[in-house]
Amino acid sequence: MLTTVAAGRVFDYNYCIGMYGMSGQGFWSPQDFVLGEGDLIYVISRGVEEIGQRITRVTRDHQFLGQFGASGRGDGQFVWPRSIDLDSNGNVYASDDFLHRISVFDKEGGFLSSWGTAGSKEGELNGPSGIAFDADDNIYVVDSANNRIQKFTKDGSFLGSFGQAGDGEGEFDLPWGICVGPDGNVYVADWKNNRVQSFDAEGRFKVMFQGADNGVGDLHGPTGIAVDSEGDVYVTDWGNHRVQIYGPDGHFVTTLVGDAQTPSPWTQTYIDANPDIVKARRRANMEPEWRFRRPVAVNVDANDSIFVLETARHRLQVYDKVKGYEEHSLNL
Amino acid sequence: MPDKEDIASIAHLMRRAGFGASRQELEERAAKGYEATVEDLLHPEEQPPIDDDILYRSMPGYEGALGPPINQAEWVYRMVNTQRPLEEKLALFWHQLFATGNSKVDNPPEITQQIAMFRRQALGSFRDLLVELAKNPAMIWWLDNNGNHSGAINENWGRELLELFSMGVGNYSEDDIKDASRAFTGWTIEPKIPRNPLGRFYWNFEYRAEDHDDGEKNFLGHSGRLNGEDIIDIVVKQSATARFLARHLYNFFVADEPQVPSWNINPPNDPDAVDQLVAAYDESDGDLRSMMRLLFNSDFFKNARFARVKSPAELVVSTVKMAGNYQGPRPGFNMLAMECNWQGQELLNPPSVESWHTGGEWIDGGALVRRVNFAAGLMGDTSLPGIQAMVAELRQRGVSEPEEFVDACLDIVGPLEFSEATHSELLDQATEDGGLSWDTEEDSEKSEQKIGVMLALIAASRDFQFA
Repeated sequence: MLTTVAAGRVFDYNYCIGMYGMSGQGFWSPQDFVLGEGDLIYVISRGVEEIGQRITRVTRDHQFLGQFGASGRGDGQFVWPRSIDLDSNGNVYASDDFLHRISVFDKEGGFLSSWGTAGSKEGELNGPSGIAFDADDNIYVVDSANNRIQKFTKDGSFLGSFGQAGDGEGEFDLPWGICVGPDGNVYVADWKNNRVQSFDAEGRFKVMFQGADNGVGDLHGPTGIAVDSEGDVYVTDWGNHRVQIYGPDGHFVTTLVGDAQTPSPWTQTYIDANPDIVKARRRANMEPEWRFRRPVAVNVDANDSIFVLETARHRLQVYDKVKGYEEHSLNL
Repeated sequence: MPDKEDIASIAHLMRRAGFGASRQELEERAAKGYEATVEDLLHPEEQPPIDDDILYRSMPGYEGALGPPINQAEWVYRMVNTQRPLEEKLALFWHQLFATGNSKVDNPPEITQQIAMFRRQALGSFRDLLVELAKNPAMIWWLDNNGNHSGAINENWGRELLELFSMGVGNYSEDDIKDASRAFTGWTIEPKIPRNPLGRFYWNFEYRAEDHDDGEKNFLGHSGRLNGEDIIDIVVKQSATARFLARHLYNFFVADEPQVPSWNINPPNDPDAVDQLVAAYDESDGDLRSMMRLLFNSDFFKNARFARVKSPAELVVSTVKMAGNYQGPRPGFNMLAMECNWQGQELLNPPSVESWHTGGEWIDGGALVRRVNFAAGLMGDTSLPGIQAMVAELRQRGVSEPEEFVDACLDIVGPLEFSEATHSELLDQATEDGGLSWDTEEDSEKSEQKIGVMLALIAASRDFQFA
């Protein structure tokens, strides 16, 4: 369904952006994205082996503005790019969980610096995954294989950390994504523990987001998190190919499964150029194409539009959280 | 404490039932005993599978691979990292027997699904495996059964089911092929989502009753309104099927046979072994685990050390496992897959439905150079963890004199049984270089270099090409 109504909320599918591309227009196994100034979006692609790693600049109305970063181990290059965020100046930070480092670019993609040392001591990184800036321009890094969250200044000076391996409150098993909510709380996708935990800015545990005993609202390998202006929490349920939505206190609200019934303009151009594909699409049940496949990251903009990035479909699906939705009592 | 012969037996078993094993694993398995190890191998479900979540988190492009060699790389990852060696080796066996290629299927994830089906069915009933194969979307597309309609049959699947997948040529008539094909009309796939810039989509089997020829058929002496499963039920009861499967198992797991297309004129090299496997098939009603149990515990298997030329996949994966540098997710599996391709085995894309020619036909001038360079390059690299472990083992044993040095290297790499000629050449090299010494840091460094050279020479030898 294109409109999901649940528990006093309405989520309306709007449109999608992107397609597969080894380079240039398109993404390849994208891992994360960030909403920039105006309608700018930065998407970080994982690629495969030594091909396709980059950050793509694209607008919400499908304009491809260019790409930066490349495959390799030198400055400004990636082996396993994972996560991306912007500081208050609009500079771009990207983690690489193979090279154990954070690379920094200006907003146009010019390489500025990198920091990070492999290891498990204080301030060292082992498989850095999600990254997120707080309101003070400090950056949280999910130090995944060390099962902890570390906080740094934006030039990489260590400020503090919390968490350890385990499955209790405040413990992690290969955590993946992270976000800082509007209230300054920190949300962590505790990937192998199939849950999301929130913490205050000092790392004190607050709320657990996970399935109930009856399985309702459960998660399999959550990856990305976003919080809207009303405190609702969106989680990309990577292993179940869906987005789970929870209220601020952790109660489960509803599920989005993906609704991209109309291809993005980039995809449509490809389809239109191939008459056999047009015919084949009319013969087939196209529903698998509409649905999320490996949703990996989610962000919410100032208007509470929800952007969901899918690794295996190489695209973003966009929903709007509709305010003032009216449902008339007509017998439709 | 297992002796050298115990370890050599287990090493032979692990080369054939898997892709080799580290010295430590060999010693642990030898301590447990040969027959107990066979039972462990026959029950892969008792070991954890590859963690797909970890794999796809690290290398998301593997899932729904857009094209080769990405899908091949994923399989090589599984071969190197599996804790269920026989399951993976059997998947390779079934892929070789039921050869399906991306050149026509053009949907890597679908062929990968077929391999996953081989893992699930690897040690079950041959009948169930054939039914799953007949319903496998990649196979249906590969052998045109989607174009096999009531009133307009396409014989491709029906013919290959009998000729290449079960009975072998000469055991059925052209009329049998026609009626087998009629029985499989309506076995097709749902209309495909075409490939497009949103990645690959899986296909689904579909039975269309309205397109199935439900009329009377005659097949291998059986009459009736036969459907596809009836055909397979009849096929698996044929003595030719048991014999054909037995010979394939012998060729893949025991010793190189003549090439498959010549089997109707060239008898098996060891007819008694094939008879034993046929008996195991008959007694167990086509149970594959029973056949494999007999095979691995038989004298004909135990006495067949180094009687097979390693396939490229076996050479690449077993060498990498020995070098120990591809444990878990990391970049580079694409190159391992390409290495198999360059050596002549394009996994998931065999040259035709007849599959690869094996044995000595793996070797030609170009392939041999690649095989030697690849294996010697890894085995001579003393920075790799598996090679470092060998260096440490030689040091711990206190190996010093040239002859002792050569024998110890052959022992920890295999144990390998080298020809007199090769052994003599290795000894010449060791004598020329002098023995090993660990007295000073400089001595240790030189000894490490000598070990690297010796291991590279072993990997470059003719003898190393055999499993």
